Amino acid sequence: MRNFILSFLALILLPAYMSGQVIKGKVLDKDGIAVPGAIVLGTTSNANTDTDFDGNFSINATNGETLKISMIGFETLSIKASTSFMTITLKESQEMTLDEVVVIGYGSRKKIDNTTAITSLKAEEVSKTKVLNASQAIQGKAAGVQVISSDAPGSSPSVVIRGLGTATGGRTPLYVVDGMPTTNINNINTNDITSYEILKDASSLAIYGTRAANGVIIITTKQGKGDKVTVEVESFTGFRKPLKTVRMADSNAYATYTNAALGTNTFSTNQPINTNWLDAITRTGNYTQNNVSISGSSENVKYFFSAGNYEEKAVLNGLDYSRFTFRNNNEYKISDKLKITQNLSFTSANSTPQPFSAFTSAYKQSPIVPVRFSNGSYGISYVGTDGTSGTSGSSFNNVGNPVSQLDFNDEEQRSVTLQGGIKLDYDILKSLKFTSQFNGEYYTWKNYNFEDTQAIWQVNNNPANLSSIVYPDDKNINQLTKGRNQYFNWNLTNYVTYNEIFGDIHDIEVTAGIETSIQGAREALTVTRKDVNPNSNYWSLKDVNYVGTVTNYKDEVFNETKLASYFGRFQYKLLDRYLLTGTVRRDGSSNFGKDYRWGTFPAFGIGWIVSNENFMANVKGIDLLKIRGGWGKLGNQNVPLNNQSYSSGLSYYTGGSILNEGTTINSQIDPSLSWEVTEETSAGVDFELLDSRLKGSFDLYDKTTKNVILFTVPYITSGINAASPAHVGEVNNKGYEISLRWDDKINDNLSYWLGGNYSNNTNKLSSLQNANISPIKGGGLGNGQWTKLLDNSSVGQALGSFYLYDYAGVNPENGKMLYYTADGEKVTQDKLAESDRNYSGSILPTSNYGVTVGVNYKNFDLSVDGYGTGGSKVYNGKKAQRFTGENVEASLAENFWTTSNTSAINPAPFNSVPVASTYYLESGDFFRINNISLGYKLPLREGFINYCRLYVNAINPFITQKFSGFSPELNGNGDPYGTQGIELDAYPTLRSVVIGANLKF
Amino acid sequence: MKKVYISMFVLSSIFLSGCADDYLDVNETESILTEDIELFNSSEGAATFTTAVYNKFLDFSMSSFSWVGMTSIASDDADKGSSPGDTGSDKDLMDALTYNPSSPSTSEIFRANYEGINRANRAISIIPTLDKADANIRERLVGEAKFLRAFMYFTLVKAYGGVPVIDHVPNPASEEDRLMQLTRKTPAEVYAFIEKDLTEAAAILPLKSAYSVSEKGRVSQGAAYALLAKINLYQKNWQKVVDNCNLVTGYSLVANYASMFRLAGENDAESIFEIQGTGTVPIKGIAGYSNIQGARGAGGWGWGFNTPSQSLLNAYEANDVRKNATIIFAGTTLYDGRVVPTTVENPMYNYKAYSSSFTDAWETDTNIKYLRFAEVILMKAEALNELGQTTDAIVLLNQIRNRAGLANSTAVSQSDLRTAIWKERRVEMAFEHDRFFDLVRTGQAAAAFTIHGKNFVTGKHEVFPLPQAFIDEAGGLSTQNPGY
Repeated sequence: MRNFILSFLALILLPAYMSGQVIKGKVLDKDGIAVPGAIVLGTTSNANTDTDFDGNFSINATNGETLKISMIGFETLSIKASTSFMTITLKESQEMTLDEVVVIGYGSRKKIDNTTAITSLKAEEVSKTKVLNASQAIQGKAAGVQVISSDAPGSSPSVVIRGLGTATGGRTPLYVVDGMPTTNINNINTNDITSYEILKDASSLAIYGTRAANGVIIITTKQGKGDKVTVEVESFTGFRKPLKTVRMADSNAYATYTNAALGTNTFSTNQPINTNWLDAITRTGNYTQNNVSISGSSENVKYFFSAGNYEEKAVLNGLDYSRFTFRNNNEYKISDKLKITQNLSFTSANSTPQPFSAFTSAYKQSPIVPVRFSNGSYGISYVGTDGTSGTSGSSFNNVGNPVSQLDFNDEEQRSVTLQGGIKLDYDILKSLKFTSQFNGEYYTWKNYNFEDTQAIWQVNNNPANLSSIVYPDDKNINQLTKGRNQYFNWNLTNYVTYNEIFGDIHDIEVTAGIETSIQGAREALTVTRKDVNPNSNYWSLKDVNYVGTVTNYKDEVFNETKLASYFGRFQYKLLDRYLLTGTVRRDGSSNFGKDYRWGTFPAFGIGWIVSNENFMANVKGIDLLKIRGGWGKLGNQNVPLNNQSYSSGLSYYTGGSILNEGTTINSQIDPSLSWEVTEETSAGVDFELLDSRLKGSFDLYDKTTKNVILFTVPYITSGINAASPAHVGEVNNKGYEISLRWDDKINDNLSYWLGGNYSNNTNKLSSLQNANISPIKGGGLGNGQWTKLLDNSSVGQALGSFYLYDYAGVNPENGKMLYYTADGEKVTQDKLAESDRNYSGSILPTSNYGVTVGVNYKNFDLSVDGYGTGGSKVYNGKKAQRFTGENVEASLAENFWTTSNTSAINPAPFNSVPVASTYYLESGDFFRINNISLGYKLPLREGFINYCRLYVNAINPFITQKFSGFSPELNGNGDPYGTQGIELDAYPTLRSVVIGANLKF
Repeated sequence: MKKVYISMFVLSSIFLSGCADDYLDVNETESILTEDIELFNSSEGAATFTTAVYNKFLDFSMSSFSWVGMTSIASDDADKGSSPGDTGSDKDLMDALTYNPSSPSTSEIFRANYEGINRANRAISIIPTLDKADANIRERLVGEAKFLRAFMYFTLVKAYGGVPVIDHVPNPASEEDRLMQLTRKTPAEVYAFIEKDLTEAAAILPLKSAYSVSEKGRVSQGAAYALLAKINLYQKNWQKVVDNCNLVTGYSLVANYASMFRLAGENDAESIFEIQGTGTVPIKGIAGYSNIQGARGAGGWGWGFNTPSQSLLNAYEANDVRKNATIIFAGTTLYDGRVVPTTVENPMYNYKAYSSSFTDAWETDTNIKYLRFAEVILMKAEALNELGQTTDAIVLLNQIRNRAGLANSTAVSQSDLRTAIWKERRVEMAFEHDRFFDLVRTGQAAAAFTIHGKNFVTGKHEVFPLPQAFIDEAGGLSTQNPGY
């Protein structure tokens, strides 16, 4: 074997023997150990060779010529050739890239040896943007990863990796936090994260076969290091305001518009009151975070403790959120062979939620209504005979008082998450390692919601305290709902890793293991009681039986999910340049019927580190060039337990006081439901050029989800209206990703970087197999109008496509809105048939991009990060939902059709519900500066405080958007056929300014 | 070391030794598996399947906003009501007879009735298999389900004309069943199916008097005969109307008309079939029914839809007690002492939807009276008149008039009496979800709507449009009603 390789090398290196004299030498590392495979290059003769397995080389070069000796992991050395035997010692490289390690699932790998598409983000990237959830912080920082975030406190962003492959519940990527698979990372303090790795292609994901189809994000938290105790402190405080608001009509413009809509003079156009409802329900938000960590290590123990506290007073009045986190990660070296790693995290979160529908109410409520009437009671929408708002008169809209809505909302939620694990690493042999890991997650949640029913009634019905209107005595005076929720999930993994280098050139690593993952049954208890003591201290008295006041009692245990898996991976590296990875995972899921529960998910990846080839030694300017590619299959099992069951709770009184229980069957289960399978082929190039100052990668992929699971209902006349999952079609995502980064150090005082990434994805529903699929009409506005369609006609469209009537402008003769029929005729909405609708674009963007720029000058550092999307559509739901009597946007109130303004772009005011049309559809494209960070390190001498950096951050300082609403970033309920992409009850994006400090002791 | 191997081995063997499949079996805890049918194998268990059919009539989609829109707002008895700008999704269209195949109200009623029919089909197929349930009770429960199925098909055929008849739970794999679900039958075929169901139900069901106090709300034999009479009335089988009316026995007119629409009048001597709501805990009422029709604005308690029309108000003769029992007037005091201030949005509201104890609650104790003995009398009167027995018919008509505080009818000729009976039906049964269909049945629609100020297009408006979604699904197997 060795001979074969040598002769192979000899053949490649033949040209090197053709001129000059023979220079001989030996290459050693700092410990005097021979370095085989180092490339020796004569800079003038262009001769080259590499060292043999004892580090020896001989090269045909001239005496005195500069030889360049390079080797992965070492700094390149230039030395004059001499005729005497040369002994050359290489210094180990400080350059991180080559030693950089990525976490790949059940192990880690040197980045350069990895054949797959993994984006690895370090602690600094994740914690730089001062937001609660790490996934929000990485928005725009990883190519191919779309993050749709919300600034609502405690919300979880949607993360879409390489396009949406499915439309059912299972759309979120799998998070693996220190080995624990989970779906939410709100309990993780971003400051505790040491690395955040995004596995993007099938070749890397297949090892997580089960839940990998939507991508996997591996989060590793910090470990102690260094031989002394390090104490780190970070504190910041910030202020927040909505980034963009919508200008509404003032009260006189409102009156004019509404009068025109009603065709009356109900409203005076000289209004005494002009309420800005958005101002009335919002405040300047503020938030603070404080973290302390203590870490260090000794010979046998590494330890890390951290505690963090986050508090936010949100922009919406009354909405407060706080979170306390505690973490302890320890590593014990029991013997040379045995290592135990333990981690534990405790998170407690408290919040006082407020309904986001207040934003919609504030948009809709008329500015003529005061926040409070002069008698002190809350303003409501009554118009008196004088045409102004008052305590009596005619009710002119159904919108409540947004301020009273918030004032009366009395709700609190508390949750505690305990996450922890223990991992045992045992070296059975030098090359054979056994790992056993157990992780668990316990979550408990409780809330209360108190409704002061009588007071709310009084506000809405009796603002003038008219004596004739009294609160009905038989009604409950108040209502208290309490909820409890808990679950325990756990995961057990055992695997062996075998790593051996054969014949110095065959580097083989084999991993094989088994795993089981249990999503425990979630328990939920909800109790509603009426007429409780108004003092909250006395809601739950000892020894009192409240059975007589219970109006609702729900005790639910949700189905658990079990997974059992086998997995294996083979990684092979030949001569440090040729890479091969093969993975196979076999998973069983309890969600499917007995005969359909097992799925096998194979994958392979290949890579070629071109820059390690001898022929590349001459090529200047290329420090790294790697080509990689792969193919794999992934599964998605995130569907409800697939059982045919009864619908209960359909009860009825048959004339007496006995409530009869009712049961029926209201679903149609496909018993052959099984894994949703995604197949992906991908290829990529990684490169580093110009002394590694320019780094980048380019990736291409083609991903198809065959047998996509969608919730479908049978024919209308079957009478079954509960949707059940079924395999119905095929979704394809094709795209490419580019990321580039330039880092340069001009001198010891000044360095800078410039980076960006761009990804393009084309999402398409490529086929539907089931002719019986019942249409899914989604994106409902709650007024009978729906905006999105998925049925047989959707083939060829992207998921989440809007299906709307085409707006054809205003009829100049009467100001009515016109729409195109299928025949191209312009008609009013009552003449439209459903067949006149067209697909009008999707909520899914076709491109995402991020940019980053930074400068370090002496003790100052400045960085700017931006993010944008292109190609998506958003629907102005709150505008489309408007009823008569509700407010309109200023731009509409200023220019609408009247007999004297027949060329206006906006139609004449109308009372009817407008059909869902492209009139309300807008571009969702935006570019936003997500973060600007300016820091200054105090020039400290070694002392009590070793390090102090003060910083100012501006989060979301600027945005350019085409959308006329508050924010084009609309996660909604996260469902592409739900309210995603529709601005309705949406929390605005915020602009924040933060000041803070990092300290090390 | 050894332990490591052991733990590895144990875990592997769990998976590999075939128990892996058992390991992955989890218990369903959210709902009862159909394979656990044995849990329902008792008289009580069997009853739950029929209860679910009744329960459908409490749904908002079945009996509330859309239903009121189709049967009252679309008729000449009522206007949309509420604030001028509040369309209630499409109630303005219902009021103006400008609805289309995509209108939510007409679609919702179509869907809801088929949802109820599915529940009835389930009950009819499951109950006979529950061999541990009392055989008589099983038979009765199937009879109740058949009545309710027939009731829903009657609603469908009145509202949409011929519709697909789903007489069993469809098998998703069967082509025959696919065609059954997508192909419209003729109205005659639908009526034949209804008649068959009702005849079978009538043969099985007990008399109302045979039910215990807490089961008076169940369907009885009298209800089956009364509904048979009504479908015969719609098909103008006059003799059959008379015959079936004669079989409705054990009922009588109550003295006080207004009492029927209050809590005390539920399941009274006149009541043949009504939908039961209860406002006390555990609450189970018709979702939104009282609230959507409650007075709106300052001093009101609801959305203010479905307000009595001027045309209806004009239809009451002087001293007709039914006027003040049917209409709430702003500025008056209700029977329970509640003052309805003049500040409410509309001058009149529907009294029959009012709940005294749970005024503005979403689910209340208000019932919907679908079949009353008064209607049986009026049906019989109409049929006798058509059969030429005018004198007998007048006696019956006068029973209804006298109870309402009115003098005997002055009608003498067959044709005058016909008009008088039709008019009596209107004022007797206003807001009882009959008027629109009655106008179409009697051919009075075009004239009545003209008086009411609406354009009723003959040949189109007799039926409502089928939902566009159904037409789309049918893919050519069914066509839309003419004019839509």
